[in-house]
Parts: sequence; C-alpha cells; structure tokens
Amino acid sequence: MQTVMSIAIDALAYGMVLFVISIGLSVTMGLMRVVNLAHGAFAMIGGYLASYAARDLGLGYAAGVLVAIIGTVIIAVPIERFLYRRIYGAPELTQVLMTIGITFCVIGITNFAFGPTLKTIPLPPSLQGSLDLGFRSIATHRIFAIASGLVVAALLWFLIEKTAFGIKIRAAVDNAAMTAALGVRTEIVYAVSFAVAIGLAALGGVLGAELLPVEPYYALRYMVTFLVVVSVGGAGSIPGALIASLLLGAIDTTGRYLAPEYGEFFFYLAVILIVTLFPRGLAGRLK
Amino acid sequence: MAVPMAHQPKPTLSIGKRFTDNGLLGVLAILIIGLLGYFLVPNNLALLTQIVAIALLVLSIDLVTGYCGVATLGHAALFGAGAYAAGIAAAHFGVTEPLTMTLIGLVGGALAGLVSGLVILRAHGLAQLVLSIAVIHLFHEAANKASGWTGGSDGLSAIMPDPIFGMFEFDLWGRTAYVYALLLLAVVFVALRLLVRSPFGMLARGVREDPIRIAAMGASAHSVVLRMYVISGAVAGIGGALSAISTQVVGLDSLSFTLSAEALVMLVLGGVGSLYGALIGTVVFMLFEDTLSAANPFHWLTIVGALLIAVVLFAPKGLYGTGLAVAGRLKRRPS
Amino acid sequence: MKKLFTIALAFAAMSSAAWAETIKVGVVGPFSGPFALQGKNFKAGIDAWFALNGNKVGGNDIQIVYRDVPQADPARSKALAQELVVREGVQYLAGFYFTPDAMAATALLQQANVPMVVMNAATSAIVAASPQVLRTSFTTWQTTTPIAKVAKDQGVTKVITLVSDYGPGIDAETAFKTAFAKEGGQVVESVRMPLSTNDFAPLMQRIKDSGAQGLFTFLPSGPPTLAFVKAFNDNGLKAAGVKFYATGDLTQESDLPALGEAGLGLQTTFHYAVSHDSPENKAFVAAAEKAIGNPAELSFPAVGAFDGMYVISKMIEATGGKQDAKKAVEAVKGLSWISPRGPVTIDAESRHITENIYLREVAKDANGKYYNKEIQTFEKQGDPGLAFVKK
Repeated sequence: MQTVMSIAIDALAYGMVLFVISIGLSVTMGLMRVVNLAHGAFAMIGGYLASYAARDLGLGYAAGVLVAIIGTVIIAVPIERFLYRRIYGAPELTQVLMTIGITFCVIGITNFAFGPTLKTIPLPPSLQGSLDLGFRSIATHRIFAIASGLVVAALLWFLIEKTAFGIKIRAAVDNAAMTAALGVRTEIVYAVSFAVAIGLAALGGVLGAELLPVEPYYALRYMVTFLVVVSVGGAGSIPGALIASLLLGAIDTTGRYLAPEYGEFFFYLAVILIVTLFPRGLAGRLK
Repeated sequence: MAVPMAHQPKPTLSIGKRFTDNGLLGVLAILIIGLLGYFLVPNNLALLTQIVAIALLVLSIDLVTGYCGVATLGHAALFGAGAYAAGIAAAHFGVTEPLTMTLIGLVGGALAGLVSGLVILRAHGLAQLVLSIAVIHLFHEAANKASGWTGGSDGLSAIMPDPIFGMFEFDLWGRTAYVYALLLLAVVFVALRLLVRSPFGMLARGVREDPIRIAAMGASAHSVVLRMYVISGAVAGIGGALSAISTQVVGLDSLSFTLSAEALVMLVLGGVGSLYGALIGTVVFMLFEDTLSAANPFHWLTIVGALLIAVVLFAPKGLYGTGLAVAGRLKRRPS
Repeated sequence: MKKLFTIALAFAAMSSAAWAETIKVGVVGPFSGPFALQGKNFKAGIDAWFALNGNKVGGNDIQIVYRDVPQADPARSKALAQELVVREGVQYLAGFYFTPDAMAATALLQQANVPMVVMNAATSAIVAASPQVLRTSFTTWQTTTPIAKVAKDQGVTKVITLVSDYGPGIDAETAFKTAFAKEGGQVVESVRMPLSTNDFAPLMQRIKDSGAQGLFTFLPSGPPTLAFVKAFNDNGLKAAGVKFYATGDLTQESDLPALGEAGLGLQTTFHYAVSHDSPENKAFVAAAEKAIGNPAELSFPAVGAFDGMYVISKMIEATGGKQDAKKAVEAVKGLSWISPRGPVTIDAESRHITENIYLREVAKDANGKYYNKEIQTFEKQGDPGLAFVKK
C-alpha cells in the first residue's frame, strides 16, 4: 500500500511538471493551429534567462521567474512578427520546417553564447530540501510545481472560458475571417495568445528545470514528450492537457517502477492505445 | 497538408515535354549528375553514396506524405529495418551477396512498412504524427533490446559484402558502392515514376485530395494507403540495405527519431509531392550540411537553421516547387 | 573507364603528395549537438598539446582536420573517416567519442595504412577490432573494477546496480558484478533504465525496496546525471545512509557546478581529475583552460586527447613523417610517460593505456568551487574487460 501511495505521489509530481511545460504548446497548437516545434526552444530560453538572473546576477528565484517570462516574451515578439506570422494557416509541413529551423538556430546560438554545460536555477531556501510525509519524503520544489500547475490550469481555464478575451480567441479559432469581419483585431488576438503561450513555455522551463535541466540541446531533447502530451490531451484543451499529463505521468512512473527495462515499451504502447481510442485527444476541441 | 501538386501534365505536349514526363530525363539527370559527382569529387564517394541511401529514404517518405498525405516522423523505422535485415543476414547468416542483401533489405523494409502502416494509419493529423513517433521509438527500443542480434548501441559490424557479381570489390575509395548506389537509385526512380503515374498512383493522390470521394467511388482509402506504405517500406528498405552494404555497419541511429525528422525536413525543403523535389532536397541538405560541418564543426547548426527559415520565407513550396513556379512565370512573360 | 579510375587515383595521390611536409591528423568527434561539450574538450586537449609542444615534430608540421559526428552514428563516422583518409590524406585518425563510431572506422585502417588513436570511446573490444588501434582514454571496466573494492572496504556487502540501458551501461553493470563478486559482495538487484528517463523518483523507490546498503550507477554525462543525483537526495536515500558508488563519468568536472551541494561527498573512481596534483597536470590544465575558454567546461576527454597527441607525435618521430602504420604502431607499444593524469604505459599487447585509477570524492575548495578530490590510488590498472570480450 505504501508503495502504491508512493508511486501515486511520484506520478502526480511528474505529471504536473509535464503539464506546466506542455500547456503552452497546447495553446499554440490548438488555438493558433501552429505545429510549434520551437516550443522547447522558448522553454529553454526561459530557463537560461532565469538561471542568468538568479544565479549570475543573484536576483533570487522569484525575480528569476519574472525575468524569464518577460524576457522570453520580449525575445519572442520579433520572432512572432517576422517569422510566425508567415506560417499561420500554412500547411503543417511548412510550419514544421520553419519551427525546426528556429529551433536549430536557438540551439546553435545558445551553445555559442552560454556554452554547452548544464545551467541550474538556484532554488530559494524555502523550496530546497524535502518534506517528510511519514512514509516517504518528497522534494519541496515538486510540491511547488504541483501547486503552480494547478494555479496555471485554473487561470488559463478562466481566461479562455470566462473572459471577453477568451471569447475572442475561441471565435478567432473557429472562423478567423468572420471574427475579423465582426470587428475583432484578430492579429492582436493572435499576438497576445502567442505571448501567453511563450510565457507559459518559459514558466514551464523554469519550474521543470529541476527535472529537465537546462542545456542547449534541451530544445530538441524533450520535444517529443511535449508533443505526445499535447496530442494525447487534445490540442487546445486545458482539462485535456491536464488529464493527459497526469495519465502519462502515471503510466511512465508505474512502468519505470515495475519494469524499468521495458519502461519505454510500456509508455509508447500506451500512447498508441490511447491515441487509437481517442484520435482527437482525451478532450479534443478540434473538429 | 494541402500541398498543391507542382507538376501537372498538360493535354498538349511537345516532344521535349513528353520526354520529360516519361521520367527519362530524370534518370538521365540522375546518371549525369551522379557521374559528374564521381569525377568532380572522386575522393568523397562515401558521402555521395550516403546521400543516395538517404535519398531513397526521402523518396519513400514522399510516397506516403506527398502522394497520400500521411504525416510521419517515424519513417526511419522502415529504413532501419532494411538496414538491419541486410546487416543481420550478412553478419549472422553469411548472406554476403550484395544483390541478395539488397533484396532482403527490400523485404525487411516492406514488412516494417506493413507493421507501421497498420499502426500509423489508425489516426489523422497530429494524432498520426504522434503514432509515428511512438512507432519509431518502439522500433528503436526493440533493436536496442535485441542486442544479441543487432549489436545494440555498439552497432552491428562485421558486415562483409562480397564483390558484386564476384568482380567489383567494395574498396576504400567507395567506387563500387557508389556506382551500385547510382544504378539502384536510377532503377528505383524509374519504378516510382511508373508507379505514381499508374492508376494506383492516381488513386493514392485522390485519397490525399479527398478520401471521402474516393470511398464513395468504391475504393478503400485505407487499403490504398496501406499498400503505398508497403511499397514505401520497400524503397526505404533498399536505402537501408545500401547503407549497410556501403558502410558495412548498422547503428541504432538508423532507427532514430532524429533521422526520421531530418529526412522529412529534406523532403519539405525540396518540395513535397514530387520525386524530383525529394531528390533535390536530399542532395542540397546533405551537401550543405557536410560542407558547413566540415568548414565549422562547432557552429554549423545555426546556419542550417537559418537555411530552413529562409526556404520557408522565400521558397514556400520547397526548392523544386518554387523553382518550377518561378520558371513558369518567366516563360509566360512575353519576350 | 578504367583509365579514368587511374587518372582519378593519380590526381588524388598527387594532391596528397603535394602536402607531404604537413602531416594531417583527422579528428572525429561530437562537436555539435547534445555532446558538443565532449568534442570541445577534445579540441581543448589538442590545442593544449600544441600550446605546450608546438605544432612541429621533427621538421613536419602537424595539422588537425576536425569532423563532426554529433551523436553515435557509425555510418556517418565511417564515411567521414573515409573522406579524411581519401580526400584530406590524413596519416592518423583520432578522436572518437562513441564506441560504434570508433568500431565502424576500424574497418578502414588496414587498407588505408592509417593508425587510429581512440581518445575516448570506452568499450574494451575496440582495440581488438584492428591491430592498428591504440587507446589513450580508459575503458568502463578499467574505471569500474576498483569501485567494487572501495564498496567492500567500506563494509558494504549488498549493492543494487542501476545503469542506463545501452552498451556502456551494460558494460559497467557486468564489470561491477564481476568485480564485486570477486570481493565477496552480493548484487541484490540489477536495474536497467531507458536512456530517455527524465524522472528517477520511481527508481529511488526500487532502491529502497531492495534493501541494499549501497548503489552502483552508470549514466551518460549531462542532464540524466543531474536528475539522478537530485532524485537520490530528494527522496531521502542520502539521509537514510545508502552509499552511492559510480564511475567518474557521473562527476565529470563540467557537471559539478550544476550538481552543486547535491554532489558533495559523492565517491567515484576514474582515471583523471582536473584537480590532480602534479606539475605535468598544472601545466596541462593551464593550457587547456586557456584553449577551452571557460575553465568550468574542462574535463576528462581533454586529457585523452592530449595524451593521444603525445602518442601521435611519437609515431611521427618513429616514422620520420612517412606513412607507415605498422611501424608507427610498433614504435609506441610499451611506451611509458608521465601524463597529466599520472604515470601511464601503452600496453604492448592490448595497445590500451595502463594507468592509475583514483578514488575521488566531490569536495568544495576555498573559493567555493566544486572539484573531485583524489583520496586513494589504485596503481597501474590495465583493462580487465579485454579478457571478457567474447571470441
């Protein structure tokens, strides 16, 4: 029983980290219909900025998170303006080519500017160490990640479902031309959604850094994981992404505990099964 | 995935045009450019052979992506299956005759095509992409686990192909391998040219454009695409076998997500939905990568990235597609 | 057609003859991609050697030609090695971070009349693949075997092994099991973890359940290392007194700043620590740090490359700059010298390097910098793995 509880906690913690990192991608892919393979690159930029601010400038963790989110969005604005705007509505393969190109560039530049070593984001004392649950201990930063994940999910859900801006987003997704005709500035809606997605990517990069350390190849290394989470959940769906993250976290964690040598098989067979059963994702908004 | 066909035969054809459309010009071009390569860079034939092997993989992706509209990031599974089939036949069963090895690779690739087709075709769009990713990881992991057969992460070496027809040995300069590769490519190209213009090829194209209408016509879209997947597997398998024969080693990278993604990038770069596009994309990407990475082994990735972005911005239909469009516009302009 | 072959041949021969006074060395390694750091270390080691010894040996200039294989990719490695030999006309092949890459290139050596100096790839069998292969790094068996003794000496009799599920990991597992059984210890459980593992928490639970007093692990350097050690600490295993044993790959100097406090006290066995206290090493580190730019990035592949250059220079001396692989290899068999890592010898039979293996502990110096502190020396260790190679 203890073991089961213990695995459940690990699964929850891992799943929430997956959620925080992937949710931004779900927004770009579901709401903006861009297969954004550069998502990991933006998460990585966030991680580097946070590391630079918190470690090299000594500004502290909270400031690091802020710098990461704001800085990454600022970096992303010209990229959105000059590159992404060219591929909205383009065939998926063209989007893949463009975003892979951006990813390569970001990797190359990061490698050149920061060097290939791992970068860490020093945690504040309150998040260091672990919490004793009686039958096991769990790292405090994981609890923090779980809490942040829940807050992010709630805020996003509120933004999209309950605010005027959310209505505009959903309208633009369903029919951009019609929405524009009704007087909504769709390019601004897109730009803001993009900024939100990038901000979420950066946040995810920082919060997940304890598990997925920041280094130049980060941008590609975890791309597949993010893609899988988003598509299993259904692109664009906040609850879908949440359920998918938790489910995949549980499958991965259980598999790695019970039969680590076959963990990979376990995980991908499960993905095939889920995707075949729910081809539009667990809670797909698309079509 | 609605990439318009770059190349539509017109009802009235001049003789020159008809010549082009039979694909003979293509074969001639392959052979001429190939031989030019032979004499221009006689001391880097290993690279050229590798380009041909990858070109076969890219052609094979084009069959399912360009002609049937299937999104896949797991096509190296078919290439790797061919490579391992040929390699295992040689290393464990002593089948070292190159033509036989190529055939074994073809069969291996076709089987892998059948298996991955059965899985991947169960979904569409993004879900399909994820299925293909799952498939390539399962293949990769299976090969890693079966290290007794595949050599695992250390790679399968000890592949010693016989001389072709007992006469042409595989030498240090890679001449035999290259000539063999060129001939293979020419044969495959002709076969594919016939295939994509056959009624079956047209049907496949129809499936991409409008699967519902094809179903209404009484054809099964699923079975068409699945058959194309098997054919595509055979082509990729030949490429894999060629790689195994020419390098005499097979590594896990031949079954990797990285290779799948890179090959797809080459295809999109050249232009989806045309055999020429696939060839041009492969040659340009690989030569570019090789030159850059030799010139600056440390920071070439950035420039490759910039190239991809530039292509999307300035040649959105791929190098071949956009090239054709530009040529067409020039022709139409009154002189 | 045959005539054209001959012309092409003659042309190529001429182009290499024209460069006769410059001896080219082809170095294949990961200079971009996820292992770029290791390739950078190759280059730093080679540059350091040039800085200390100049780039002339007996009147011949040495020129390095770098080729990039970002990830293990034997086909590409072989194609590049072939290109280096045929087009660039290199007289020596060197580098090779990954075993499959080295293995693939060995097939060329005899026909190309080129010796190969492996500067990293650590699977025992490589030197057996061709009589023209030399190695100046280490093997996984060589660095793993002593840690089994360390564990036994510290009173640990039950160990669980966790290794990454790929060639080198399995190598390390077998080596540890063999050595630990010899010491009279017991490996209670062996777990192989997929390379793509991000979250190690469930495995920590496995360790707890196994009741082992200590764990032995092998992971590729980089992100997994960091995540593994953090999981070990965060899940209370460190606090519970479970002993942690690994080879020095895990505490590579370039990873230490990222590991930080979490790494303190980790004990590993390895052939080289940047902190090694000797005049040879001081000179080497000074030159290599300058070459790599950021001193924090310097670690073990650099010393393999540095010593590889030493061996190559000796081969050039012995052959007077003429291309003669057999003579070159013969000349350095049994060669002994003082490397930055300590006294070393190229074993005449295996052509692999015999060296000291050190037990080190991660410590913090007065400036707050983390380093591997050598605390015990196992002298003149050969490669026990070669005896284990089948066939």
